[in-house]
Amino acid sequence: MKNIIRALRTERGWSQQQLADKLDVSRQSVNAIETGKYDPSLPLAFALARLFDRSIEELFDDGSNVANAAE
Amino acid sequence: MTQPKGFRTATRRYQFLFWPMMIVYVAIILGASAFIDKDTAPLWLKTTGALAIALPLFGALFAVRRLTDETDEYSRLRHLRALRDGGMITAGILFLVGFLQVFNVTGEVPVVWFGVFYFAAYGLSACLQNFGRTV
Repeated sequence: MKNIIRALRTERGWSQQQLADKLDVSRQSVNAIETGKYDPSLPLAFALARLFDRSIEELFDDGSNVANAAE
Repeated sequence: MTQPKGFRTATRRYQFLFWPMMIVYVAIILGASAFIDKDTAPLWLKTTGALAIALPLFGALFAVRRLTDETDEYSRLRHLRALRDGGMITAGILFLVGFLQVFNVTGEVPVVWFGVFYFAAYGLSACLQNFGRTV
């Protein structure tokens, strides 16, 4: 699933490790989420949304946003 | 089943149990090999030695199990994948060696090596996940 986590993280000047520490997950987790290799669970997605002060829909794009826009 | 505690707490709890267990294991195995003669020692001493060596390994296995319960979700996935692959590789080798023995192709292989092989296969599988996937 595509997301804007990396953009938001770099915008704040955080390293992957710093973001991982804030979320209490491993750095590999942050990397896997940023690269779309792993989709986080709802609790972790909510934690990301709270941290970046965005909604989950703003952070993650499952493709339906594009489909909805086309309709 | 214990509840997830986050990556840092889970890792700290794992290290506080796993590494002491490994130190105890090495100390006991060295002591047992030095002081217990497997040909002449009484049965109770040999049994006690074997139990004493196995107990810290039970502790280490418990530490791994607890880590998979308590760590963050992606780390849990990686550990469980590695445990799965390690287990399946070990089971496959176990079957192969077992049938080779059934058909008298090979001699007897000490069962203890399958435990060692499992840990090695688990570690190797965990390392291989770093190649071509997520670093």
